[in-house]
Order: sequence, then C-alpha cells, then structure tokens
Amino acid sequence: MNAHPTLGRVATANGLLLCLALLGCGGKASSPSSQEQSASPQAAGPISLTLGGYTTPREAYGAILPAFQEHWAKPRKQELSFKESYLGSGAQARAIAGGFEADVAALSLEPDLEVIRKAGLISHDWKKVGSHAGVVTRSIVVIGVREGNPKNIKDWDDLARPGLNVLTPNVRTSGGARWNIAAVWGAALRGKTASAKANDPESATKLLGAILRNVKNMDAGARESLLQFERGVGDAIITYENEILVGQQKGQKYEYVIPRSTILIENPVALVDRYVDKHGTREVATAFLEFLTTPAAQRIYAQHGLRPVLGELERELADKYKQPEDLFTIRDLGDWAGTQSKVFDTGSAYDRALGLASGGT
Amino acid sequence: MKAAYALAPNRGERWLRNASVLYVLLLVALPLSTLLWFGLSDGLVSLSSLLRSNVARSALWLTFWTSALVGVINVLLGTLTAWVLVRYPIPGRSLISALLDLPLAIPTLVAGVMLALLYGPTSLIGQKFSAFGMPIIFAQPGIILALLFVTVPFVVRAVEPVLSEIDVGEEEAAKILGATPLQTFRTVFLPAIAPAAVSAGIRSLGRALGEFGSVVVVAGNIPLQTLTAPVFILGEIEGGAPRMAAAMSVLLLSIALLLHTTASIIERQVGSRHA
Repeated sequence: MNAHPTLGRVATANGLLLCLALLGCGGKASSPSSQEQSASPQAAGPISLTLGGYTTPREAYGAILPAFQEHWAKPRKQELSFKESYLGSGAQARAIAGGFEADVAALSLEPDLEVIRKAGLISHDWKKVGSHAGVVTRSIVVIGVREGNPKNIKDWDDLARPGLNVLTPNVRTSGGARWNIAAVWGAALRGKTASAKANDPESATKLLGAILRNVKNMDAGARESLLQFERGVGDAIITYENEILVGQQKGQKYEYVIPRSTILIENPVALVDRYVDKHGTREVATAFLEFLTTPAAQRIYAQHGLRPVLGELERELADKYKQPEDLFTIRDLGDWAGTQSKVFDTGSAYDRALGLASGGT
Repeated sequence: MKAAYALAPNRGERWLRNASVLYVLLLVALPLSTLLWFGLSDGLVSLSSLLRSNVARSALWLTFWTSALVGVINVLLGTLTAWVLVRYPIPGRSLISALLDLPLAIPTLVAGVMLALLYGPTSLIGQKFSAFGMPIIFAQPGIILALLFVTVPFVVRAVEPVLSEIDVGEEEAAKILGATPLQTFRTVFLPAIAPAAVSAGIRSLGRALGEFGSVVVVAGNIPLQTLTAPVFILGEIEGGAPRMAAAMSVLLLSIALLLHTTASIIERQVGSRHA
C-alpha cells in the first residue's frame, strides 16, 4: 500500500538529480521549511485551512465551512479562508500522500486514510481522536431500484436473479464499491441471506459471483455509477443510502430498499500532522475536527443524506434513517486490513466470484 | 557520420542541436526511464505476479486482439477511404477530410461518451442490438468501435500523399499494355501504398493498445470480460498496487516500442526504394 509514495519519491529524486546535473538548478526545490513556518505566531494574521475530501459530502461541506467560520473565526476576529479539493477517496488519499498539502483529510474509508498515515504524514493515532473514533459520518449500503420497484427486489439474493442488470462500481478504483461488496459478503457470512450458509465463505462467494454476473458495467466511482443509473441503465444499483437520498432531493424518482442485513459505512476524518505543522494550522484544524461532531455540523451532514454519529440526533431522525434488521460494521468482519486481504486482494473471494461470474457467460 | 550533414554545424547550430536533444530527453526519455526503473526495480517479481494473475492476462489479451483487429480494419478501410478521397471527385471533400481529423482533436473521453449515448442500452440502436443478443456498449463491440474512432485518421493520412504522388503515366501505361483494373491496382498502386498503409496500420495498433479515455466509458470494465489493459492499470494504481500497474505499463511500452520499430523499418525500406 505504501509503495505509491515511493513512486512519487523516485520520480522526484530522479527529476532532481537530472535537473541538478544538467542545468544546475540550484536549491530552489521546495524543502520543507516547517520550523520557520510553525514558529510564526498564527493567532494574529489571516489563516487558511485546506480540506482534502472525497466527493460525496462536498455539498455538506458547502454549508459546514461557513458554519465553522461563524463558530470559530468570528469570535476570534481572525480571517479564516478555506481551500477545498474533492476527489474520489482513493485518489484524494494518493494526492495528499504525494504532496497535496491538505490540513484535514476527509475520506470514504479507513484504508485510504491509512495510505496517508503510512506515507508518514499522519503521526498520531487518528482512530483515537474525538468521541467517535475518527468517524464523522455514517451511511449504510442499500439497493437502489426503479420507481415502484418493478422487479420486486427486496434483498441481496434478488440481485442474483438471472436477467437482472445490476450496477456497482469497480472495487479497485472506488471505496464505495468495497463497501458494497463487504455488505453482500458480510450479510452472506452472517447467514442473513436466503442462499448462503452462515460462516461459509464458499456459499458467500457463490452469491457474490451470481450478483456480479448481473453486473455489465463497472464505473470508476460511486457517483458515476449512480449517474449511469439516472441515465436509465440498470434495474438496480448497489450504493450508499446518502447517494440515493441526495438524488431524490434533486428530484430523481428512484427508490431504495434496505436489505435485511447490511453494513454500516463509517467515513473517517483526520488532520495531517506534517502539513498542519508546516502551515501552523494545528489549532484551527483541531477545532475544525471537533466542530464536525457537534450537533450543528451533524445536522448539516444529515440534511445531505448522511447518518449522524451522535446518538441524540440518530433518535431524532429515526424516521428518515431506518435501521436494518441486522446492521454490522467492518469490525464484525475482522477489520479493514483483514477484509482487504480476505476479500479484495488478488486471488481472494472477490476474484473467485468474478471467475464464477465470467464462467457463466 | 559527418558526411551526412550538408554543412558542418556552427556554434549556434550546435547549441540548437543540443537544446533539442535535451528537450526530447527531458520530455520523453526521463519519464519513460522513471517508469522502467520503477517497473523493473524489483527485478521480474511484479512482472511474473502480473502474468500469473488471470485478470491481468485476460486484460492484456483483450487489449491485444481488439487493437490488432482495429489495425487490420484500419489498413483495409483506411486505404479504401484514401483511395476514394484522392481519386474520386466527391462533393464536400474538404469537409470529409476535416471530419477525419476530428477524432484526434477531441478528448477521447468525449468520444466514449458520444458512443455510449448513441449505442448505449438506453438508446434506440443499443436496444435493437441488445434484443438480437449483441449489446454494443459495455461489451467488446463497444471497445472496437471506440478504438476505430480514435485511430481512423492514421492510415488515411499516410496513404493519401502516396496515392496522389503516383505518376498518372504509370497507370495509363498499364492500361495501354492491356492490364485489367485489378492488375493495374496490383502492379501500380499496391506496391506504392502497401508499405505506407501497413506501417500506419501498425502505428494505429500501437495507439489503440494504450487507449484509455474512450474505452473506460464504453467497455464495461468487468475483469475477465471487458477489462482492458489500460483500464486495468488505472485499477491497480487506484487500488494501491503501483508495482502491478508499472509492470503492465512496461509490458505495453515494450509492445509499443516493438511495433513502432517495425513500422519505422517498413517506412525506411520504402524510402530507400524510392531513392
């Protein structure tokens, strides 16, 4: 996983060497001048916070950033500006690890934040930060269906029915797709699907393969996949609940069903130690992270389809965000690292399921 | 060596020469050598694990056969198109000629989106074809269409100048000597245009091997079925396996290098024959 920054470093080193050798381009290459910068007092002057996020909560941050402005900067009479960048979660992780100097990283799933940590940029244990283990938003994996649910899709097993066209993105490029597969895989292993036996990887793989056989197109990301669905492709889509809710808010007519058993998606946020120290933004970044789990920010997230992490809000919004019969987390499957190697690495369950899927055609 | 230059380069010209060599080195050789270095830095470990993955093998094979097919179609239909453009008076020829260059001018992603709109499962044409059991988009025909679209000018543009340079006298002589049209084509035209068509066809194959933007939209990208090598590379990069990506890139790069060398050799032979 941490090989990628190496690529960047190799390239930079190579480039610098040649640059120096051929042109003698001096010492202008940006060496981290962190000491100078962090020595300067930050309270007085204007300050800028860079947020490197994944695409889903972009609209939510559009409302949260001004709210934080009110909450933090105004009382201090300090000029606070934001720089925002939104990419697919994996791409954002690599951008930050490769030198995009984000003070705060808000990503889709833990392994992507771990990419930044393993690159040496996050030096604290981000899973221990705050009251919610570094997680600021949640959602669940659901099945999006056409208006009125014409194919009568109720649960994961229905997606395996021959002749259906199911959308789910590519697991290599999309964090969302990995949540999707983990949801089906977990539900099957827990014995909460009709066709798979509990704790039997074999029958779980079979169910996954039968569903994947109905997947004719794997888009690069969750958003593209939903756009494809909105364009009229597919009978059903495996996606996040929040994506569907946002689509419905924009007037889309599709619906969603909550499978009997599904996974709780947890989206982490962390401050990037290397860059907050370089920019002298640790204080404001820390305050920002704390702000994200206040009721004010959580309410904004919830307006954009994301489930809150605060218990009080969760109860208040129980009508909007219904509980599945069996809700599990990635920790119930072991953890992300274990799931990655058991389910997603080359030759593991997902690959075998793909083999089953292509064998049938 | 020196005899090849008409004049010995003076100081300014030497400077110009060095600068342009440096330019090419920095622009092309440096990034490629970085890729090679990274791709081969663990010896052949990544390459062998790449070749042991059946997803990678199937992606490579799919990319290769679709590109080769596209190369062959380009040679045949590209030559035909050039023939028609040069030899027949067609209304709006300059328009058709300009159209042929457009695929190189628009982002290939846009090309993919256009094809998907036109032939996709929600379009009328797409539904008709799907009803016959032959979907175009999210299937192999979509890949071939996209590759054809982005490589269409190659052969046409290579054959056109050769055709228009052919001496009318040769053709008339063949006719007077009693050659049938087919014989005339075989003896007068084919020897002249074949090398150009074949080398351009090979170059179009090389171009098709690396095509990403249009293919990622139309292919469906299902591993073992419609996942091509360039899209596989994206997946490996995004999925945190840059070494697999680099290994596949090195493989594609080697094939492309081989193809371009072949094309150059064919062209050079023609050049020496003309001289």
